[in-house]
Amino acid sequence: MSSEPQAVTSTVAEVPLSRRFGLIWWIALVVSGAFVLLLGYTLVSVTILGVGVWGVNIPFVWGFDLINYAWWIGIANGASLFAAILVLRRHDLRTSVNRFAEGVALFAVICAGIFPIFHLGRPWLFYWTFPYPATFQVWPQFRSTLTWDFWAISTHAIVTSLLWYVGLIPDLATLRDRARSKTAKRLYGVFALGWRGSVRHWAYHQRAYRLVAILVLPLILIMQSTVAFEFAVTLVPDWHETRQPLHFVATGLAQGLSIVLLVAVLLRWGLRLGHYIDEEDVDLLGKLVLASALVSGYLYLDEIASALLAGGLAQDATFKRITGDYAGLYWTAIVYSILIPQLFWLKAARQSTIAGIFVGVSIGTGIWFDRYSIIVGGLQTDYLPSISRTYSPTLPETGLFLGTVGLFAALLLLFVRFLPVVSMFEIRHDEHEENSS
Amino acid sequence: MRKGAPFDLDAVRTHLATEEGARLWRSLEELSDAPEVRRYIEAEFPDIVQAASIDRRTLLRLMSASLALGGLAACNGSEAGKNAPLLSQSRNMPGYTPGVPLTVATSMPLNGYGRGVLVRTQEGRPIKVEGNPLHPASLGATDVFAQAEILSLYDPDRSDTPLQNGAPRSWEELTNFIRPVRNELVVGEGRGLHILMPPTSSPTLHRLMAQARQLFPFAQWHLFSPVDDDNRRIAATAVFGRDLDFVYDLTQADIIVTLGGDLFAEEPGHLRYAADYQTRRRMQDRPLPGLYAVEARLSLVGARADQRIPLRPRDFEDFVQVLAAALGVGSAPSSAPHPSVSKLADELRRAGARSIVVAGREQPARVHALVHAINARLGAFGTTIRAIDPVRPVSADTGTLVDLAEAIESGGVSRLVVLGGNPVYTAPADIDLASLVRRVPLSLHLGQHRDETAVVCQWHIPELHPLESWGDLRAFDGTVGLRQPVAMPLKPGLSQEEFLGLLAGQGPDGRALVQATWHEAWGEGFEERWARSLEGGVIEGSASPLVALTDRFDVAAELEARTNSAGIDVVFAPDPSVWDGSYANNGWLQELPKPLTKLVWGNAALIAPETAAIFGLSSGDAIDLTVEGRAIRAPVWILPGHAPGAVTLTLGYGRQRAGRIGNGIGFDAYAVRPSRQPWIASGEIRKPGERIPLISTQQHHSLQGRDIVRVVAPGQSAVGESPEHSSLYPEWPYEGHAWGMAIDLDACIGCNACVIACQAENNIAVVGPEEVAKGREMHWLRVDRYHAGDPANPGTYFQPVPCMHCEKAPCEVVCPVNATVHSSEGLNDMVYNRCIGTRTCSNNCPYKVRRFNFLDYQGTDYTASPDAMNPQVTVRDRGVMEKCTYCVQRIGAARADARVEDRPLRDGEVTTACQQSCPTQAIVFGDVNDPGSAVSRLKQSPRNYALLGNLNTKPRTTYLARVEPSRENG
Repeated sequence: MSSEPQAVTSTVAEVPLSRRFGLIWWIALVVSGAFVLLLGYTLVSVTILGVGVWGVNIPFVWGFDLINYAWWIGIANGASLFAAILVLRRHDLRTSVNRFAEGVALFAVICAGIFPIFHLGRPWLFYWTFPYPATFQVWPQFRSTLTWDFWAISTHAIVTSLLWYVGLIPDLATLRDRARSKTAKRLYGVFALGWRGSVRHWAYHQRAYRLVAILVLPLILIMQSTVAFEFAVTLVPDWHETRQPLHFVATGLAQGLSIVLLVAVLLRWGLRLGHYIDEEDVDLLGKLVLASALVSGYLYLDEIASALLAGGLAQDATFKRITGDYAGLYWTAIVYSILIPQLFWLKAARQSTIAGIFVGVSIGTGIWFDRYSIIVGGLQTDYLPSISRTYSPTLPETGLFLGTVGLFAALLLLFVRFLPVVSMFEIRHDEHEENSS
Repeated sequence: MRKGAPFDLDAVRTHLATEEGARLWRSLEELSDAPEVRRYIEAEFPDIVQAASIDRRTLLRLMSASLALGGLAACNGSEAGKNAPLLSQSRNMPGYTPGVPLTVATSMPLNGYGRGVLVRTQEGRPIKVEGNPLHPASLGATDVFAQAEILSLYDPDRSDTPLQNGAPRSWEELTNFIRPVRNELVVGEGRGLHILMPPTSSPTLHRLMAQARQLFPFAQWHLFSPVDDDNRRIAATAVFGRDLDFVYDLTQADIIVTLGGDLFAEEPGHLRYAADYQTRRRMQDRPLPGLYAVEARLSLVGARADQRIPLRPRDFEDFVQVLAAALGVGSAPSSAPHPSVSKLADELRRAGARSIVVAGREQPARVHALVHAINARLGAFGTTIRAIDPVRPVSADTGTLVDLAEAIESGGVSRLVVLGGNPVYTAPADIDLASLVRRVPLSLHLGQHRDETAVVCQWHIPELHPLESWGDLRAFDGTVGLRQPVAMPLKPGLSQEEFLGLLAGQGPDGRALVQATWHEAWGEGFEERWARSLEGGVIEGSASPLVALTDRFDVAAELEARTNSAGIDVVFAPDPSVWDGSYANNGWLQELPKPLTKLVWGNAALIAPETAAIFGLSSGDAIDLTVEGRAIRAPVWILPGHAPGAVTLTLGYGRQRAGRIGNGIGFDAYAVRPSRQPWIASGEIRKPGERIPLISTQQHHSLQGRDIVRVVAPGQSAVGESPEHSSLYPEWPYEGHAWGMAIDLDACIGCNACVIACQAENNIAVVGPEEVAKGREMHWLRVDRYHAGDPANPGTYFQPVPCMHCEKAPCEVVCPVNATVHSSEGLNDMVYNRCIGTRTCSNNCPYKVRRFNFLDYQGTDYTASPDAMNPQVTVRDRGVMEKCTYCVQRIGAARADARVEDRPLRDGEVTTACQQSCPTQAIVFGDVNDPGSAVSRLKQSPRNYALLGNLNTKPRTTYLARVEPSRENG
């Protein structure tokens, strides 16, 4: 390792390498661990008993499973898109928040990935969507959006973890060098892939990192669009709209940004990393969040305009969603994801920790209600009026959702405990440049 | 080996079947006590007889012998004992192939009348009931009750052992107990003996009753059914001087007026009437018949009627009186006539003898008497109406349930025999039969279940199911159908015939008893006629002859007029799903959406929208209904078209001892039923402000202005100019067969027979009330019910919706694993074992006909016995999507038959289960590639249209629009 400014590295590296990590971390881990147990319980129960333990029925064949899937995917997409753009643009902000963004994206993908598997009637057969040469020579149905979704989510998981991992390699090497115990040294060493910090290493690393980041860009659009296609290509009157992918991409981006903001603010406050994630960074994030919320707002207007243009049953369906039994979901989404972020027109709000947490949570919640409104509210109107039912989530469904939130939190907690949350090498690089200038 | 001992299998069988022989035997030892069996064993296994001790090899032989014997007793054996099924195809019997289903003709009772059925059995297990085309009450169709008998047969709650005060007793103990009692009664010539049974049409039962009467001249017989025809009997006796039944010929009628009741659902000839009405409608050379329904509650006939007149029950007498006066019979009452009467009278006068006026059984005797007078004036008797001797004759000295109650009160009953039925549950509220029966020194109940009556009687004797025992039943027109066992008794028991046979000293051999009846009637040539009647299921030429009427029509005034009291009219009606409660433990029927309310797993007090507005009620609100001082709490259901000022209560719910399925479902309408006015009473309603959840499978009943159900004027086309849709995917050429279906909405009366037939044929799971409430019922075929127009008197439309088998099936392209694919004959196939359960296909099905196994529905309390399952159809796992297959197993079976005979499949050879059960032939299935097939011809009709055709799914199932000249609501 080079003899660059050691202060940064040691502060950041101290965190994963220290033996003690404070009571709050432990409490947080225990709480989130409890939710992970809940997740395990709900997954086992749904596997043993069947998806009937949820509130799903005909025609509401999908409920919390797809709502939360779409929601987590939104987070993952937004976060990884953000990280990739930072890497590609070599933006200052990348040094401070990139690693969280990548982490958030990866953990969100993991949470999202749970749903498509366990929402199956027979989850143990999920691999049948994979085109493997089975002896009975049946291939997946390539016209199915669910097959597209299988490819999208597996690609997403691979690319996101690559982005995260490639970025981590130099820092893993630092941790290896600074590790106090032999086990930790070995473990970090394996994942550092023999990094020695030679110029050649750095050159390759930069190329690989940017290459993966470029891969993320189209992937995000594809992934969100694929989720949207699951609805748009069906005949369901409210879903059958070409604008659906745009809606999912835009609202997903707002949601991803808001979660990055939330995590950044929390880390800044919780781990006292204020120096590395400074007010400028948070301010910039706030502006992005506001901009994306405005785009979402535009798309909500577009939704109504499209419905009016479409007329007929599609129009009825949209208006039923806005005014019918499930109208509360729609309007909650509007308030939380569009109106509340308007707070960020104020600079003080953008830089305030409390406001950051508030807006971050608010957009995340709002988009969750938006997905709920689309998936459940959109199914209210069908071609035959005889098919009219209601859907409400059951306790196991809610438990499953809370469980994935717990899993997400637990993974983040472990991440901040065992890996450098802020990119050490990027900060060293930045400071080096500052010093030399 | 000892020589000379003949292999006397028949003797063994006879032994197994005779009275002394144990019906179920546990071991060979038990059997080998009989000399015949010992002889057989000596002949076959001399070692066993000689061996002093049993070694391993001998034991094995013994076991195999016992298995062989068990098999012998269980299968075939047309010459064997009384319970061996005598198969209707006896002439072809030697060709019986294991695995190939066998069809047996028999008769099924409902309210004492017979409906001919064909029962499909597989390896001795009855699995499906179809209508008997030779039987006049069926013509090949079935109703929901006949279809559901399969499940009742396999009901695990059926009692299997005699009980004395609730404690199980062996049959021997029962015999030992009864024998002295009977001897004592014989000596006392039946003094103190009272026998209560439901009215029956069975000639054998009547013969045995007559014999028992001779043996016990002082015994008193009481007939009671909760669905009685007393008012009709009173009216017929008053008008014609004798009891009569009336058979209507709807094919001859131009105008049909029904006053209450439900001609298409509750009459003993309902299947036939529905079929005849449709036949009449299909007559091209005559104008469409007019059907007018005057009724308090919306019924199937009202839903089908050209004009419905909702009328408060208390106004019926005046209405009919005005109508009669307008036709020149009697004088009109002073009250203002109903606006529709004069038009109705004009129509009837115009149709003259080609008209039918029929009153429901709930109508008071005066209405029936006036109806007879109207029909006589119109000249309908002899043309559209045949009077026949009563099919369920009631001799003059027969008592009623009230008489029995009085006799018990006065202490005149020392021996009470309750022969079938469940009178303790079904008795009117003012007769506390439970405590009365407990007062009788010795009471005995023969019944299939340990029900409400069984628990208050000292002895309970298990009754055989109609599919397990011998008997005979008359249909609505008097035609006799023989009832033969189609299965070995699943649980030991006696039939009513056998019990009466024992009582009358004739022995308990059901077959012999029935044969004796017909031997008496036929004399010479019995054997041949018997075999033919068994094979066909019908005794040819046994329909009751026409009775010449002596007119004395002006008697209505003599009959007691209705006394109108204040309050709301309370009408009682048999339930479309559980009838009088006897089907309460049948999961198929409990889960069957009632035709008009689509309610499942419960009943409701039906009220008019106007009544609801007055009392501030909405569906699901509880009411406290008080009739003659007795009150029940019931949820209300707003039924569009119900007459205001009235509430309809359906019978059969709120049972406490129905079994694991039927206990505690709904409310008990018998608890407020008065014995003096068992059909129409008056009561008070109060709103306690409570809600009782009701489960309905269809909450919305408006068509919302969409052209889902199309209505055309005669000769009009159902499809307008529509742009030709194009598709990205190329058309697939179908070179062989291309299966398709046409559903005639003009013929569908919404009777639900197809729904249950589909459930029975395709092993469709019963999911239970909680699951249905969540919207997870599994019916592959549903009947959508829509109303149009004024809720006070709307038009009602039924639309059966099976899978459409779309040419461009939206479900197929969205399945990620190719679990639903198109067959080479155009079927939209579901590959259960490939399905991983994403449920996307259901999302993309605009008809929402796909059903998902959200939970393991094959392992619940509601699951049918595995024996009731159709082995040709896969039983679906949890997590798998399922839907209508067009009965692909039937297509396969017909194809196999055709290949064996080396010929092409003929049109009509493949019938789907729904099609086969339909009384009006509303469903037609066949090859649309064959231009001459029935289905192709129907699809050529201008009335043919595709449901949601604008989606370009190109459904193979299409509909024929309903025909309405121009609807007017009265």
